[in-house]
Amino acid sequence: MVEFQRVNKWYGSLHVLREISLRIEQGEVVVVCGPSGSGKSTLIRCVNGLEPIQSGEIVVGGKRLSDPSLDMTALRAEIGFVFQQFNLYPHLSVMENIVLAPLKVKKAPRPEAEKIARRLLERVGIPDKASAYPANLSGGQQQRVAIARALAMQPKIMLFDEPTSALDPEMISEVLEVMTDLAKDGMTMVVVTHEMGFARRVAHRVLFMDEGQIVEEGDPQRFFDSPASPRTKQFLSKILSH
Amino acid sequence: MKQVTIFLVAIALLLAGKSPAGAETTLEKIARTGVLTIGTRTGSPPFAYINQKNEWVGFSIELVEQLVLPPLAKKAGKPVKLEKKESAPPTRIPLLSSNAVDLIAETMTDTRSRRDSVDFSLTFFVTGAQFLVKKGSPIKGIKNIGGKRVAAQQGSTNARIIRERAPKAQLREFPDQPAAFQALAQGQVDGYTNDGIQLAGLKAKAPKPGAWDIVGEFYSYEPYGMALRKGDSDFRAVVNNGLMEGIDSGRFFEIYEKWFGPKGEVPYPMAPDVKKFMIYQSVPK
Amino acid sequence: MNYQFDWSVLWTGQSGQWLLQGLVTTLEISALAWLLAGALGVLSGALRTAPWAPLRAVAAFYVEFFRNVPLLVWMFFWYFGVPPLLPKPFQDWLYDHGAEFWAGTLALGVYHGARFSEVIRSGIQAIPKTQFEAALSTGLTTMQAYRFVIIPVALRLIIPPVTSESLNLLKNSSLALTISVAELTFQTRQIETYTAKAFEALTAGTVIYLLLCLAIAGVMARVERRCAIPGMIARAAPAEH
Repeated sequence: MVEFQRVNKWYGSLHVLREISLRIEQGEVVVVCGPSGSGKSTLIRCVNGLEPIQSGEIVVGGKRLSDPSLDMTALRAEIGFVFQQFNLYPHLSVMENIVLAPLKVKKAPRPEAEKIARRLLERVGIPDKASAYPANLSGGQQQRVAIARALAMQPKIMLFDEPTSALDPEMISEVLEVMTDLAKDGMTMVVVTHEMGFARRVAHRVLFMDEGQIVEEGDPQRFFDSPASPRTKQFLSKILSH
Repeated sequence: MKQVTIFLVAIALLLAGKSPAGAETTLEKIARTGVLTIGTRTGSPPFAYINQKNEWVGFSIELVEQLVLPPLAKKAGKPVKLEKKESAPPTRIPLLSSNAVDLIAETMTDTRSRRDSVDFSLTFFVTGAQFLVKKGSPIKGIKNIGGKRVAAQQGSTNARIIRERAPKAQLREFPDQPAAFQALAQGQVDGYTNDGIQLAGLKAKAPKPGAWDIVGEFYSYEPYGMALRKGDSDFRAVVNNGLMEGIDSGRFFEIYEKWFGPKGEVPYPMAPDVKKFMIYQSVPK
Repeated sequence: MNYQFDWSVLWTGQSGQWLLQGLVTTLEISALAWLLAGALGVLSGALRTAPWAPLRAVAAFYVEFFRNVPLLVWMFFWYFGVPPLLPKPFQDWLYDHGAEFWAGTLALGVYHGARFSEVIRSGIQAIPKTQFEAALSTGLTTMQAYRFVIIPVALRLIIPPVTSESLNLLKNSSLALTISVAELTFQTRQIETYTAKAFEALTAGTVIYLLLCLAIAGVMARVERRCAIPGMIARAAPAEH
């Protein structure tokens, strides 16, 4: 579904992704963790082309991102992306936030788009907020709208960039629940997060990144119970002691 | 917005003028300060302008210096210095009313409606409105400007007369002479109307004076006078007596010759009936 | 101080009619120039944040060139400088059909467009970049992201500075009198010519400008409240919960 082939990326002289090679299969849920500045967010931002890479190749759904004839817009429509800061459109109601892309990109008829949107709001647990504005919602509600907005395009893969980091603790679980449901339905997901409980319960595979490299990967049980790298151990001990 | 600034300054001066000092007459003020302040132009040759040597000179200014200052000094009992401030059609009456200047000496036409606000001295120059056109233009005077585009200066009496007597003409009004002349030269307008003397000055200074004609009989009567604050008749008597002395002694005509004679800045010989009029203005002693 | 105020000059004779005509012309030229400035401002302001450098350069050139030359010069430029470049018959036609008004409108619109552009650019730049990325991520094109997300939000953010720029535009329209546009200031001068009552005429003009500006500021405050994004702009009505 997604494949990284020896990907390198620099910000100026800073080498943020080093020789990354990675395959993510359809239906797989991959959690990426690591200290801040390790390159984990950059990694997923490369998947939908928000960040260009300097060498290597990324293939998404069989399409090479380096292909000059690639329709990036069409590809992005198939990749859902959920941001740390929600990034809802503040001037639009929840309903309009969700139907904007289906209407404008897919040219879906409005009644149909709204029907789908209502179903999605139901699914993320806030069916009564369709006419509210983002600023009137709690952080957890906003993030669930953001997930619904991404799902409205019926993506083949969902990318989550620290989706719970900006949330108050009591709201984290409501977002994780939605994500867990999504995983159970077979969605291909790449999740950058520090929520190790979620990783253990939901992920098929956990990646640990540090200094632009994938240091360690494995199924959650092995990853958490017997990490091989001392850097992983150190990271886990810090993060789990909280 | 310049107007508004000027207006606010004028208002400020107006309020300042209400101080006790405002109660004194112009003659008392001149006797106290030893200064006569006039409002005049910087770009109206040869009446008042800044010449190539960067001196602020002209016919109107010289009349004040030669004919008005000496009797003023006599009256004040001490030498009186001349100070000049720039005035323009929209500002000259406010400048005067607010005591910022004591006398307007430039190219101001004496009219009855202006006499509601200010007083005027004797007439010191007589001209009338005509048209400046490209040589060979079909415009011959005010009678055949219907449908034609005619430039005039904003705030001038000419624009007013054109509007009343030739309502079919397309009037374009510019704030200053250079803009109006530019519009004429480029064809935005077919003719430019102003006082004949102004047009003569413009033509004399044009790159190719021969390319322009001044046409039409005077369609207005423009007697230039110096403006003073209303009701200050003692000061007005001094100014007028000075001018009359100059007419009697012939000094007035010498100054005229200096600026408007064949070798003057703008040749504009005084018509015989104008000369007679000037002489008749001087009443017996 | 022996100036005698005579306010009746403002309603006797043709003064009232002139003031009204001047007011109408001022409103016409300001409204047309405002539309032009708005269109140019939104376009060039958006281009200045575009992801492609040559577009940014074109927009930056427009802004710096037009806003750094005095408006008076632009009045002369559009009136004296541009028409001679046109074919002769068209020139004459133009001179007979309000060349002054159109030159004034262009001068005012293009000049203030450059100033609007800066306001709009800062509005756009006040929106977090991730907002744009979020729009792209749902499959919107760059154009769509600007049209449906960035610009609508930016326009709301910039209502206060746009209001003050719009008032500047209205007041600057008085400069059109230099190219013979008979707007409000022109007409107040005309009243002065006819009546020699400069204080009264200028006071009338000043009061009318003041009332116009207050009216516009009032309308814009309403617009601001109506367009306010719930919970986002300080002056918004209380958000519902």
